[in-house]
Amino acid sequence: MRYAFRRFLHSVFLLFGVSVLTFLFTTLAPGNYFDEMRLNPQIAPETVTALRAQYELDCPLPVRYLRWVASVARGEMGFSFAYNSPVAPLLWVRARNTLLLSLTATFFAWCIALPLGIWSAERLGRTPDHVVTSATAVLLVIPDLALALGLLLLAVRSGWFPPGGMVSVGFASLPWPRKLLDIAVHMALPVTALVLSAIPLLIRHVRAAVAEVLETGFMRAAQGQGIPRRRLLYRYALPAAANPLISLFGFSLGALLSGSLLVEVVMSWPGLGPLLLEAILARDLYVVIGGVLLSTLFLVGGNFVADLLLYWADPRIRTE
Amino acid sequence: MQPLVQIEHLAKRYRARSQSSRKEVVALDDVSFAIVSGSTFALVGASGSGKSTLAFCLACLERPTSGKIWFDARDVTALSEKQLRRVRPEIQLVFQDPALSLNPRMMAEEIIAEPLAVQRRFEPRERRERALLLLERVGLLREMARRCPAEFSGGQRQRLAISRALVLEPKLLIFDEALSALDCSVQAQIANLLLDLQSAFGLTYLFITHDLAMAAHMAREVAVMERGRIVEQGLTKNVLRRPEHPATQLLLAAAPRFARPRTGAGL
Amino acid sequence: MASQRKLVYWIALLGALHGVVVCAGFFSPYDPEEQVRTRPYVPPMRIHFVDARGSIHLRPFVYDIRPREGAFDEYEEDTGRTLHLQFFVRGAPYRLLGILPGRLHLFGAGDARVYLFGGDGYGRDLLSRILAGGQISLLAGLLAAGLALCFGLSIGATAGYFGGLTDDVLMRGAELFLALPWLYLLFALRAFLPLAVSPLEAFLLVIAVIGTVGWARPARLVRGVVLSAKERDFVRAARGFGASGAYLLRKHILPQTASVVLTQAAILVPQYVLAEVTLSFLGLGVPEPVPSWGNLLANLQQYSVLASYWWMYLPAAAMVPFFLGYLGLASALQERADAPKIGA
Repeated sequence: MRYAFRRFLHSVFLLFGVSVLTFLFTTLAPGNYFDEMRLNPQIAPETVTALRAQYELDCPLPVRYLRWVASVARGEMGFSFAYNSPVAPLLWVRARNTLLLSLTATFFAWCIALPLGIWSAERLGRTPDHVVTSATAVLLVIPDLALALGLLLLAVRSGWFPPGGMVSVGFASLPWPRKLLDIAVHMALPVTALVLSAIPLLIRHVRAAVAEVLETGFMRAAQGQGIPRRRLLYRYALPAAANPLISLFGFSLGALLSGSLLVEVVMSWPGLGPLLLEAILARDLYVVIGGVLLSTLFLVGGNFVADLLLYWADPRIRTE
Repeated sequence: MQPLVQIEHLAKRYRARSQSSRKEVVALDDVSFAIVSGSTFALVGASGSGKSTLAFCLACLERPTSGKIWFDARDVTALSEKQLRRVRPEIQLVFQDPALSLNPRMMAEEIIAEPLAVQRRFEPRERRERALLLLERVGLLREMARRCPAEFSGGQRQRLAISRALVLEPKLLIFDEALSALDCSVQAQIANLLLDLQSAFGLTYLFITHDLAMAAHMAREVAVMERGRIVEQGLTKNVLRRPEHPATQLLLAAAPRFARPRTGAGL
Repeated sequence: MASQRKLVYWIALLGALHGVVVCAGFFSPYDPEEQVRTRPYVPPMRIHFVDARGSIHLRPFVYDIRPREGAFDEYEEDTGRTLHLQFFVRGAPYRLLGILPGRLHLFGAGDARVYLFGGDGYGRDLLSRILAGGQISLLAGLLAAGLALCFGLSIGATAGYFGGLTDDVLMRGAELFLALPWLYLLFALRAFLPLAVSPLEAFLLVIAVIGTVGWARPARLVRGVVLSAKERDFVRAARGFGASGAYLLRKHILPQTASVVLTQAAILVPQYVLAEVTLSFLGLGVPEPVPSWGNLLANLQQYSVLASYWWMYLPAAAMVPFFLGYLGLASALQERADAPKIGA
């Protein structure tokens, strides 16, 4: 339990550090939402000054940061200038969609990578392995942007998939099974883009980790005992390879979150990505901070879960 | 006569930094002994008894937690880093594995000449000449001067390491398990080389080993260490004839016996 | 050694690819910024050797295009007008490496325009723009990687060499940077810098942002190497004959980091090229009219472009050979680094 507590503290420290870091970035801003407003001749300077005072932007930085921390503790996350509404509700809706996308992609990516990696490791050096290795090399070489755009191009020209968005027009009137199907159809392309960009690295690492375990003495001993292959793989080899694989899982979460930012924008999926981009272009300070922090929360949370899994899976950590 | 080296109540503790615990490890605990100039002193013990820590402290590569080290009537534990730089040439260390103690990317003559360059002695041409001379003195050939360590055998590499230790004309040479990684026959050759060099240059040796028979061959005096303390000490012939401490007895039982050449400084 | 040969092969490939991009002026038929507004969105022209009448031409040629009757924005081949490709022609002026002026182009077709890769909405030749854009994107990636590695090397070496509190503080900082999903961090940093800047300023800003964000992973790797190198016997031996810290770092420790740094460079350059491309694609990077692979792809965000003008995707395909080269180089370097040093 001490281990879990320490990892938790570590995560909290990370989040605080990141929040300070992002807040510090704001001091770099030579311009902000209100300076751009000031340039607009239709808005009187007094209005701008009044608005600034209302949002308390003239307070010194540490004070602003503390106030922001206090508001986060209350569950609010500042105020969006562009949408003229509190940030938190804006973020939660979008975050839900991003999570839906990322988690589905993570699930499918691991469902494909794990068996393929193991299968490849079993046949190390032989033709099936070479096929898998070449295929992953090809995928690795295609940059994420090219992949996402390429899939979109395919969708548009073939007409099989909707070219973006999360739901069709008239979604609200559909019965709920059709609603699910509608979302699934819209998710197909973004999830495919994310999965295709993630699996090459995953397969490589799974293959390497499992191959290493299969080489060891204890595996050969177990083989010698006549244990059936499937049991060998899943009850002996996999747990032994769990350590690097669980760390890989934590890492893959981060990569998929980053990747989803781009895919969401390209495929118009209403997640955190497009919101963040809009906020940046509009200089909407608190939305950007909130968005970055939320995504960091997901990442740190995912890694924390991975740490806990590691603790559960690896008895050596418990005895330290 | 004043001994060359006098170690008084040396102690070294450090904290092991692992993920969870902060245990304190006692590497050396109240170690005292003296080495007479021109002689060989052997330090014997099993792995983890603190021998290497002592070697590093004596070579001024690590600072002891407490105690004093007197070298040539100077207290080296009290010197600053800058002052130490002037003392360093007089105490040189030969490590166990020459594959690790020689930079694999340097040529033999560069390796031997490097100490001279660092201490800024002589012109490059003279440095090279001295390096070549030493190369021959330890039994290697001039033609090997431009080879890299990977192209030498284990025994040859250790000769190279020894020649590097000699280039600054030190008074004290510390051998930290320097023969342990070599084959038996090569061990004997190098041991004889060391004895030869000792009488030629008037060197003082601290010979660290876990092999009691090797200590017997090389050294006049021996100290046995166990878990950071000296448990038995005295003239080699006495300690071997009548070992009192169980650690010594264990080491004696483990030592392979080999014929001792007449030129040995031991028994 | 097999790994040595592989290395040479990948370096040769990358050299050739970069060579083409560096000499973009020569390999492209036209000035990348030259517009022909009367011919928007020309599809790629096909090269023929046999004409409509069945006679074989020794010189490759394309048909000139004319607007299709009754259709808006569509073209058809005008089989009456054949444009032969001429090689080593004199064309629009350019500057090699920004300094040497030149007018020689690999191919052209006299006064007419040949769109081998198609044209964009302003009638600009896409092939020329892809090559010019490559200069910007690749240079940005290379410089950003250089910056990140400089930071990473100095911070990692400092942390590894001094250890203790310095090491703790620096590595916690690295963890912080690694905790953020990197694209979000990139965005956040870019967000708070001025948006409406000149292309040169934008270029430098993008490099600075990417390089600043990316120091953490190389720093950790370098720190690891320095930490273990510091404990090696040959470093101890050098300390033993009076070498100073600076000397140790310079002569014995830092050379050990060479292979890690090189491998990281090969991995980071394509990542950072992609980062610049992504930023420019979203409007946060290099702006028009300066071409970058990113802003060349930007109008693919419009449905109409996606549906009708597929050749606007070609800049994305252009990235693939470069990624292939860099990844191949990285794996060859990794193989070479993993080979044992001194045999047992």
